[in-house]
Amino acid sequence: MADFGPGRMSAPAYLACVALLTVLGLGVAMWAHPAFLHSTLQSIGLEAVPRAAPGSFYAVRVAPLFESRCAGCHGETREKGQLRLDSFAAVMRGGADGAVIVPGDTKASELFRRISLPPTDDKAMPPSGKTPLTADEVTVIKLWIAAGASGEVREIKGAPKPVMEVTIPQSDPATVQRRRAPLAAAVKDLQALFPGLIAYEARDSADLEVDASLKGARFSDANLAALSPLAAHIVRADLSGTAIADASAPMLATMTSMRLLRLANTKITDKTMEALAGHKALKSLSVVDTGVSDAALEPLKARGVAVYGGSHE
Amino acid sequence: MNDPVKTDAHVLVWDVPTRIFHWTVVVLVAVSWFSADNGFMRVHLWSGLTLLALLLFRLLWGLFGSTTSRFINFLHPPNKVMAYLRWRDGALYAGHNPAGGWMVALMIAVLLAQALTGLFSNDGLKFTGPLALWVSDDVSTRITGLHGTIYNIILALIWLHVVAVGFYLLVRNHNLVGAMFTGKKHPRHVPAGLNLNFTRLYIALLLLALTAGIVAWVFFQGVP
Amino acid sequence: MSDRKNDDLMADYLQVEAQTRRQFVGWGAGGLGALFMNSAMAAPAPHGDPTALNFVRDPSTPLSVLPPQFRAKVKRVIYLHMGGSPSQLDLFDYKPILKRFHGQECPQSLLAGKRFAFIQGVPKLLGPMFPFHQAGKSGAWISDRLPHLEKQVDDLCIIKSMKTDQFNHAPAQLLVHTGDARLGHASLGSWITYGLGSENQNLPGFIVLISNGGTTANAGKPLWGSGYLPSVYQGVPCRSAGEPVLYLQNPQGVTRPERRQVLDAVDEINRHAYKEFGNPETVTRIAQYEMAFRMQMEASDAMDIKKEPAKVLERYGAEPGKTSYANNCLVARRLAERGVRFIQLYHWGWDSHGTPVDEGVNVGLVKRCKETDQPTAALLADLKQRGLLEDTLVIWGGEFGRTPMWENRGGQEMEFIGRDHHPGCFTLFMAGGGIKHGISHGETDDLGYSITRNPVEVRDLHATMLYLLGFDYRKLNYPYQGLDQKLTGVKSARIVSEILA
Repeated sequence: MADFGPGRMSAPAYLACVALLTVLGLGVAMWAHPAFLHSTLQSIGLEAVPRAAPGSFYAVRVAPLFESRCAGCHGETREKGQLRLDSFAAVMRGGADGAVIVPGDTKASELFRRISLPPTDDKAMPPSGKTPLTADEVTVIKLWIAAGASGEVREIKGAPKPVMEVTIPQSDPATVQRRRAPLAAAVKDLQALFPGLIAYEARDSADLEVDASLKGARFSDANLAALSPLAAHIVRADLSGTAIADASAPMLATMTSMRLLRLANTKITDKTMEALAGHKALKSLSVVDTGVSDAALEPLKARGVAVYGGSHE
Repeated sequence: MNDPVKTDAHVLVWDVPTRIFHWTVVVLVAVSWFSADNGFMRVHLWSGLTLLALLLFRLLWGLFGSTTSRFINFLHPPNKVMAYLRWRDGALYAGHNPAGGWMVALMIAVLLAQALTGLFSNDGLKFTGPLALWVSDDVSTRITGLHGTIYNIILALIWLHVVAVGFYLLVRNHNLVGAMFTGKKHPRHVPAGLNLNFTRLYIALLLLALTAGIVAWVFFQGVP
Repeated sequence: MSDRKNDDLMADYLQVEAQTRRQFVGWGAGGLGALFMNSAMAAPAPHGDPTALNFVRDPSTPLSVLPPQFRAKVKRVIYLHMGGSPSQLDLFDYKPILKRFHGQECPQSLLAGKRFAFIQGVPKLLGPMFPFHQAGKSGAWISDRLPHLEKQVDDLCIIKSMKTDQFNHAPAQLLVHTGDARLGHASLGSWITYGLGSENQNLPGFIVLISNGGTTANAGKPLWGSGYLPSVYQGVPCRSAGEPVLYLQNPQGVTRPERRQVLDAVDEINRHAYKEFGNPETVTRIAQYEMAFRMQMEASDAMDIKKEPAKVLERYGAEPGKTSYANNCLVARRLAERGVRFIQLYHWGWDSHGTPVDEGVNVGLVKRCKETDQPTAALLADLKQRGLLEDTLVIWGGEFGRTPMWENRGGQEMEFIGRDHHPGCFTLFMAGGGIKHGISHGETDDLGYSITRNPVEVRDLHATMLYLLGFDYRKLNYPYQGLDQKLTGVKSARIVSEILA
């Protein structure tokens, strides 16, 4: 061991060598991993960051897919294979083994190859245990790459229709309470008078439903008339099998928000049908087992109301 | 060295446990990197746990170990460190010099942080660190992000460490690498009248058994 | 939230601990006299608080009507469960290519890593057993075993990509009916009566009608059990022959007013117990006694299909006095008219392994089709004609599918043609409000073995059903064992938006 004698290098020379080697090392790393080069250049502003236009096919169809299905492991918290799929720039940049998208060439695109492998394959993405992409999702990505993997193109022919996920209506209790306020007192009184007969159609609604069918013959024209303070708020009424007759026609005429009305097995006739002429919201009407004639139902049917029953049932 | 009558015999400065610790850590860091990069998560788990046991051992060894291994002997106040870095410090150090001492402390701290965050990490697939179920999925994922960040810090520290060792070797003609293998330094690099104590090897083994036990216990805490 | 359940347990405990003292007082002669005091019981409010915006179920009015979370598409569900699981490959999921490969050995790729209930070794492929043709305006493929249903095919939403993770009857049935393959979870009907209450206070909100094979088949009563929900929500099995509900009528020599007196007294005691211990099961008991009393009148009427015109009986193929699927379908329509929320029909005997002759695809399946085809079609037509299909959801299906392979139990071919259980895909159809009709959803591969498009998990079906009833499946829950239990379980479910109208 040569522990004696002066150093083989001067300090400045050594530091210069270190700087040179470091730069060289980084250079080799960047050469081997172009993604690293581009992300460095992009982060220090020497290269423009590619962005997808809002409303583009990428932004609307592809990005949400990457975000929901891939970015958990290829995103901010995890960067598996040094690949991120949470921005257009990152997607185009690729990962440790280079670009994953070759515009216009699905076969050469590693990303496409991986997502189209059978789920049991070791290299398949998402990896085994995760839900594979659906056929439609794979097609969306395939078409996008084939069409040039652009961040600008808005529409691509033959793309499967987007799946609309159901959004649950969010209710704001204060708004509902405010809308219910004008009728709350009347609702309460009538609920006390006719238990189980009248209810709000939903917890987020101020519209009312009436179901008198279980009361049968005990529910009369006079009973229905008692609901008059709420007439305009009743959107659904099942009066099947009750004792109501044409005398209720004027009352029914005031229930202008009505969407569904069931009058099956009652004594109503064509006269009552006239009372419904102005009910623009009416979608469904049942007059099964009544004396109502087809002729009287014709105008309603013409308006697209689903009519059940009539003299020629 | 071939001269059997050499008078200026090399002086033993590093005890066996410290040397074994050093090179095992080097190997384990490499294994950890390689296994994580290639998805050998079982290997990663065991190298991480071993690393944790060794780091905990090193903490204890820094309190009860040999003279050159004790923190108290190589963690110097900042003014001394600054003086050393400006080459104003003419003193010789048998063990770590003031700059190297802090380098060691920093390295141990960062590796420890890496091993500990690893316990709570998950790879989003089939592998979860042994204690990942102690925290919420969200927290575990955030710790995993931290695990990735610390990896980059480790890379930087390794770079710095190697550059500094190279500096001593090439500029100051002081082979630290060799000393970490043999444990011995040339008397030229060692203060005169040195009086080093070496803790018995069985104490090291006891301490290692203790920390390995702790790690095993922690590991089994996470096993449902 | 779990505190509530702990309180319940505490109440149970206190009640048990207090039992001996109460019994002593209760059975003492003086006690008896006191019990017959006139009870000033107010009738339970049938409503709860319908204006409440959040889901709040007052335990003292467990069956009061509560509005759904948001506007519902359907008001009730009729679930036609074909117990044992019919073969989708011989009824709905037409596979001409499978037919071409009929009799050849099953490709190894389909068998690798798979576990079957009975198939061993390399079975042979089994093509569709019956001719298929396209029907209706929608052109849906259907086999010639369902000539009546064929006429309603444009009302159906046929899901060909149902999947499950259970390949044995009992757990698979539990999964379909309670959302979990293990015992102890609340059934669909229980969840719905818990969420919406019972419209008709004289009938249970959840009625079970069984044909072809008693009550004990496979998973048995837990299929309509209430699990962790209070037991007032469990399904009430009714019979379509004889007395609809056993032990419902008064014993000989007891008049209805006398019965009332007894009930008043018992209720008073229970009310006292509830006040003291607050155990919801006490309220359940009061509600059940009262319900039973009111049902004495209503249930017999609802179940009495003799009241239907001959024309209607004929359409269903119903014969009063028998226990049959046809009778049950007609009863189901009568119950739907009477405001019953969840009407569950079970028709057992669809298992088609080919071991005994009645389990042959070419024998048993044919019989089951004969028993159910006309009534199912008649029920759909009847509901539609009365306008009830608009706000009713009808679901038809088994608990899993059947293999495209000829079952070779113990490595031997069966004497009769059979198919093994297949959780990988099965067909189920729905009809009614809020969903598209005349459509098929999902696809399977050319052999009918795996789903290739739009898989629907059982929990997705449940989430969709709750959505149609006006509930977010995430919000309808019940605290139990430290978890807000949901019908869909802990895995994330998806509302099948593609089939919503």
